Amino acid sequence: MTRTHLPPLLLASLLALSPSVALSQDDPAGPAPDAAAEVDDGTDTLAAADPEPTYEIGSDWPYYGGDAAATRFSPLEQITPDNVAGLERAFVYRTGDLPSTEAEGSYAGETTPLMIGGSLYLCSAMNVLISVDAATGEENWRYDPGVPDDAIPYSASCRGVTAYTDPEAAEGDICATRIIEGTLDAKLVAVDAETGAPCEDFGENGTVDLWQDIGERVPGWYAVTAPPAVVRGLIVTGAQVKDGQAEDAPSGVIRAYDAVTGELAWAWDLAAPGRNRNGPPEGEVYTRGTPNMWTAAVADEELGLVYLPLGNSSVDYYGSNRSEAENEFATSLVALDATTGEEAWHFQTVRNDVWDYDLGSQATLIDYDGTPAIILPSKQGDIYILDRASGEPLTPVGEITDLPDGEIEPDYIADAQPISAWHTLRQPELEERDAWGFTPIDQLWCRIQFRRANYDGYLTPPSSDRPWIQYPGYNGGSDWGSVAVDTERGLIIANYNDVPNYNRLLTREEADDRGLVPINEEGARTGGAEGEGDPQAGSPYAIDVNAGWRNEATGVPCVRPPYGGIRAIDLETGQTVWDQPLGTARRNGPFGIPSMLPFRIGTPNNGGAVVTASGLTFIGATTDNLFRAIDTETGEVLWEDVLPAGGQANPISYEIDGRQYVMISAMGHHFMETPVGDYLIAYALPE
Amino acid sequence: MVAAPASPAETAHSHGTRPNWAIIVLGCVLILMGLVITAGGVWLIALGGSWYYAPAGIGLLVTGLLLFRGRRAAVPLYLLVWLATLAWAFWEVGTDWWAQVPRLVAPTVVLLLVLLCLPGLTRTRHDGDRA
Repeated sequence: MTRTHLPPLLLASLLALSPSVALSQDDPAGPAPDAAAEVDDGTDTLAAADPEPTYEIGSDWPYYGGDAAATRFSPLEQITPDNVAGLERAFVYRTGDLPSTEAEGSYAGETTPLMIGGSLYLCSAMNVLISVDAATGEENWRYDPGVPDDAIPYSASCRGVTAYTDPEAAEGDICATRIIEGTLDAKLVAVDAETGAPCEDFGENGTVDLWQDIGERVPGWYAVTAPPAVVRGLIVTGAQVKDGQAEDAPSGVIRAYDAVTGELAWAWDLAAPGRNRNGPPEGEVYTRGTPNMWTAAVADEELGLVYLPLGNSSVDYYGSNRSEAENEFATSLVALDATTGEEAWHFQTVRNDVWDYDLGSQATLIDYDGTPAIILPSKQGDIYILDRASGEPLTPVGEITDLPDGEIEPDYIADAQPISAWHTLRQPELEERDAWGFTPIDQLWCRIQFRRANYDGYLTPPSSDRPWIQYPGYNGGSDWGSVAVDTERGLIIANYNDVPNYNRLLTREEADDRGLVPINEEGARTGGAEGEGDPQAGSPYAIDVNAGWRNEATGVPCVRPPYGGIRAIDLETGQTVWDQPLGTARRNGPFGIPSMLPFRIGTPNNGGAVVTASGLTFIGATTDNLFRAIDTETGEVLWEDVLPAGGQANPISYEIDGRQYVMISAMGHHFMETPVGDYLIAYALPE
Repeated sequence: MVAAPASPAETAHSHGTRPNWAIIVLGCVLILMGLVITAGGVWLIALGGSWYYAPAGIGLLVTGLLLFRGRRAAVPLYLLVWLATLAWAFWEVGTDWWAQVPRLVAPTVVLLLVLLCLPGLTRTRHDGDRA
């Protein structure tokens, strides 16, 4: 049976009548103010702005996602399937940003540069803003906002920067074009694209402090790792709230700032959208612990909307204490009116999420049979296509019913969940025979673990007396690498993970015995994988995640390969055109010893692809440190190069002086266990 | 470590007495592995899982004991265990070669080692005399 799981139009119209419909019962201000007051409060501040011009992709790479639609599709054609074998390094630039002793084990640059008018703009893992000559690799300038090591949340990551050209400014004015980033210590920084000098008209000497109205400043709890979106002259940003610390955590509020002055234009606090639209009342803070957006939004100048892939509430694996508003918006794609910050619609991908299925991918704007549409990938592997104006699905959405409730919070666990009936990257359920190892003994141990765990397939609810298997795990399906769309060939290119997690809720007593305390208390844990002992303070349970379900003794995964792949999906039909394991076994082996085996085993991967008009897909992402070119039409690997560090980043392509370049940063990733580096590597055909 | 075939001299010497030291070491290793797999296999059956491991573990254990005592019966017994393993592995995962790695690689290495022991082992009849 197929049916729409939300009636978004109905919901949107309800919300238009009464934006307070989803107000939290935990709202610290007490009862929700009446609807009329809410509407007034929300709409009188700003007149609707007109669409502003967007940058053209052409020979540039002006946005994090390539073009304004975030397709990651480059129209360039010099490098082709026929000549790609001759691709060689044109230059290697090094940022110099490598971890200090204190930051060891927490670096994951994940950086994607922009290329505008012959200059590359990027941020290093610790937010040093850099401009590099795109033809020679010579550094033009750098600006170090001085982010301290203790600001590193889960990872030192800076996925990218955002460019904004002030339509009012004259060419040659300082900061006429500015480069904007969000930092790990939660600042917005704007510098002049020409010189790297801070834009003095922006905030306080080029900086806006995002800790404002968030609450107690706890370094590392609240950090920006994704490039902000700019829409109709406003910078829109969320922040990463470090997972699993406490229910009383920084707010997931989304805020918009004037791109020229840095002034707050609006705030969207999902639990008090009307009351806090222009900031919370004096002495108060944005609603604590609400779902946040740690990944990149995409802006829609035409419709005047910005699309926000929201994550889950701060405590991921226990939900009974969450407010109605949190339940309404968590793990949803939310469209906000860019000028007012009012919600236009939202689309939820999992109800009452207790699996950390944050939406991690930047959504992609496309034209779908004449309808302005948006592609939404999810960690569960489901791919949805929605009407951009209404949020209504354009592809079939199904529902799975009669899901198990578990014993922890049976009333909270949803009995039915939406799935994409159009396309999913999710694999069939695990069976005991999928248990793996290198010998019958470790395989046997994994089979015993399989039988000892709770596992009722997809969306098995959490348990504490026994472990439970979560499949797919929190790394996806699709994560922040997002999908790429070949708009000429009508293909979605999606790389994905295929890895379970082996989890258990720890009773508060067990958590105390293990000394698990939240980040705002003395003795908090640093480093390690996400969820590998997170306190979830305020809830009855802490969480212990064995990410990737690895054998504790050998480090070998407990399920058979492949652990990741890449797939081409026909946009017309939703059918798979080709599907290949992504990544070789060369760097993997028992006890962490590289096997050097060249076989395509299919490794976990983080980072996306760039597709070119000439029919090539370039992607790093895998744990084998290879960067490769794939034939977009067949999936065949045509060229590869060994990177000096992990290529967990989205590559780009650009052209300068008639020469096409492909570029990826090799900065490594602590969670993906790839070597850390500070490299930016450009490839081109020999001259 | 590879168990080298015993030289004819050693074979003669060990006839009816102790087998080659390498065979003893292999026997001990197989006894240990057999114990672990049998115990884990019984646990797995109790949990409602596969019935392959417990009998395979016992087969390995007995093979190890026979090797330890220098008896040639170890070879056909392990050959049987290996053939059963082969049949089970293909029944379970077919030609998914990555999935076959834990199922076939180690048992095949053990088979080769056991076969290499052949010249150093005595016939069951002679062993019977000793018992």
